Amino acid sequence: MKGVSLAWRLGALIVGSIVLVVAALMATQAPVGEVVQRLLLDSFSGPTSFSETLKRFCPYVIAGVAVFWALRAGLFNIGVEGQFLIGGMVGIAVSLPIGGFGGILLGALAGSVAGMLWAIPAGWIKAYRGGHEVISTIMLNQIAILLTSHLVAGPLMDKNAGFPTTASLAPTSMLGGIPFGPVTVSWAILIAMVVVGVFSWWLRRTVSGFELSVTGANPTAAQFAGIEVKRTVFQAMAWSGAVAGFGGALQAVAFEGRFFEGFSSGYGFDALGVAILAGGNPLAILPSAFAFAVLGQGATAVQLNGVPKGISSVILALLIAVFAAFRYAKVRPIHD
Amino acid sequence: MAKIVVLEGITQKFGEFVALEEVSLHVEQGQLHAVVGENGAGKTTLMRILYGALSPTQGTLTVRGETKTYRSSRGAIADRIGMVSQHYAIIPQLTCLQNLMLGAEHGAILNLQDAEAKAESLAQRMGFKFNWGAKADTLGPAGAQKLEILKLLWREAEILILDEPTAMLCPADADALFVSLRRLADEGATVILVTHRLPEVTEHCQEVTVLRGGKLIAHHKVSDVTRPELAELIVGRALTEFPPRQLPATEAILSVQDATILGDRGDDAVKGATFQVRRGELVGLAGVDGNGQQELFHALMGVRQFQRGGASLDGQDLLSLSTRERIAAGVRLIAEDRHAEAVIEEWSLEENAVLGFQRLQQFESSGGLNLAYVHERASSFIQRFNTKCTSPAQSIGSLSGGNQQRFVAARALAEQPKLVLAFQPTRGLDIDATRAVYQGIREACAEGAGALVVSFDLDELLEFCDRIVVLNCGLMSSASSMDRTEIGQLMVGAS
Repeated sequence: MKGVSLAWRLGALIVGSIVLVVAALMATQAPVGEVVQRLLLDSFSGPTSFSETLKRFCPYVIAGVAVFWALRAGLFNIGVEGQFLIGGMVGIAVSLPIGGFGGILLGALAGSVAGMLWAIPAGWIKAYRGGHEVISTIMLNQIAILLTSHLVAGPLMDKNAGFPTTASLAPTSMLGGIPFGPVTVSWAILIAMVVVGVFSWWLRRTVSGFELSVTGANPTAAQFAGIEVKRTVFQAMAWSGAVAGFGGALQAVAFEGRFFEGFSSGYGFDALGVAILAGGNPLAILPSAFAFAVLGQGATAVQLNGVPKGISSVILALLIAVFAAFRYAKVRPIHD
Repeated sequence: MAKIVVLEGITQKFGEFVALEEVSLHVEQGQLHAVVGENGAGKTTLMRILYGALSPTQGTLTVRGETKTYRSSRGAIADRIGMVSQHYAIIPQLTCLQNLMLGAEHGAILNLQDAEAKAESLAQRMGFKFNWGAKADTLGPAGAQKLEILKLLWREAEILILDEPTAMLCPADADALFVSLRRLADEGATVILVTHRLPEVTEHCQEVTVLRGGKLIAHHKVSDVTRPELAELIVGRALTEFPPRQLPATEAILSVQDATILGDRGDDAVKGATFQVRRGELVGLAGVDGNGQQELFHALMGVRQFQRGGASLDGQDLLSLSTRERIAAGVRLIAEDRHAEAVIEEWSLEENAVLGFQRLQQFESSGGLNLAYVHERASSFIQRFNTKCTSPAQSIGSLSGGNQQRFVAARALAEQPKLVLAFQPTRGLDIDATRAVYQGIREACAEGAGALVVSFDLDELLEFCDRIVVLNCGLMSSASSMDRTEIGQLMVGAS
């Protein structure tokens, strides 16, 4: 009996979400059918749109892994946005003067190290001083945003450009891709998928991955199981930052070719949603990131219909809420 | 003697689950009547029916010759029936007197002087002493239990139902409680006692009703039945004996000298404890809860520091090892707080089987976890004490507490333990599983380990252990023999 009522409740939640989205669209007086179609399908409607979707997909995947990594250790790394920015900027700053494949490689490495360094204060404060990581990473985000915009408007600015940006990498110094007809799929997409695969394997199959998960699930039990909880927490934050920084550098050398003010359209923040939507399964980061990319691209398209861009946030938020309801729904046993 | 309470043909169903089936209970006035049985036998359910907190699916309830149908416990209270459940209902912020009167104030205006005089006369009748103006949080477990009983008398109860009243008491307090209960019964009150401690039944009660699996098994005069017979009735078959063993003198596996351990309240929870556990020996650590047992175990496990003193494991300095190294050296803990310290409830039995062992060589294979070995281990932990589950992939939190405990106990006895630290290892277990777990600890000892076991049930320690040490207020003493009276005195520092 309980199972039936649970199914009803979840069904009602889904129907309610759809009603809410339609009502939101009707409130903007847009043609509902057309908007929904654009929202979901524009990402696939042409080579330009699809390339744009892939360009969003890649950072969502890697930043999603960064958030997921910290989350598994019981940490909310809100600082992925800042670590991503710092990684992107340092990545460009290193790869610009070197150039070529070496530039790409060293840029990505430098970006990862920079991201890690940017996360380390938050990890240290959390593990050894008990300061909450949400507060410290939010503050580090502010510093990262202001620091990067200062640097691209000053020392790192391309003097020939009329707005705050670095010089661009030569096309030959950027990461290429495999052409599929009119669309070129960047190697970065492949790299992002490998990152997810390796991370998933590490988390599920290795002892250190196991210890990370135990620490996040029950730190007291972790301590009794002989796990160095503080060190595990500290390392998780550092690696999460390194992955985020790598994502920023990869975005720079594969898609943007430069660093500019507004380099990230909130990838690091959206990645929180990506990771939460993925639930407990790291491989689910891929479909989750894809959903974010598609809806993000679709939202840009529906602006033509006079629908605010924020509609994609509404849909994603509902998606997360419905998903969470499914994931955490429990039927309480009556008897012990 | 008149039958004051008669329950006849009581059946209680919760959905599909049958908690009681055609059970009867006949209680005579002026007696101490014990209701015994294993966990889940239906004792508490039966008592809640008598107290009006449950209406039975079938059956009749007769009190003082009148058939009753209680809609709530209010009806039972009006018939002068009172019940003290296992969990005390005392509000620590209120004074003892306020707690006593709570919900049963005489009239709308409180006359505290009269109330205190009346409370004092009730207490004197029972031989209790109370500081009525003191906050209830100053009471120990024994004081709280006494106050709960006075609450019943304040409500003029004549039929007292007590659910495991001595679970939290040291032997001396438990004995004192029975003296008071005897006095009450002599004055005409009737006491129905739910317990799993058989010595209490044979020493203090007149009649005993045995339940098993929701069915009535037997109703005897206590004088007609022996303790082993009673145990057999409860379990349903004869139990293996645990005769005292003669151990050859062996070297110490754990040697603790002058251990002083800081407690959470900022004072020393363990004060200069010196003791040994020898190879092959099962040492019981007796004491009332909160006298330093937890701090000692945590410090031996390496999650709490020694302030002073030393400890060695099989000749090796224990304190220089991290928790991980202690586990690798063979220290195993059956934790006090299973939920917080020993399992991850949402995770599968397999994943929980690895917990603590993840760095042991046999669990690793080429950089990763050896999943085949993990699966094999999980299955063997399940089998060892008959953990009831659908598969090793089931989450441990979905098992009953007793089944979780079986699994955790099996895990602690695996992978060549050298020192087993068991904190109430049989909590929530029935008689069968309790004996199996102690048998398991004995087997580990026979293979060269030593064991230190905390239990708040002294009779359990007396039955299964080779030797007993006692912690009272952080001070360690060693019992010279397995003598209940001597150990009981050590437990309250009255030697």
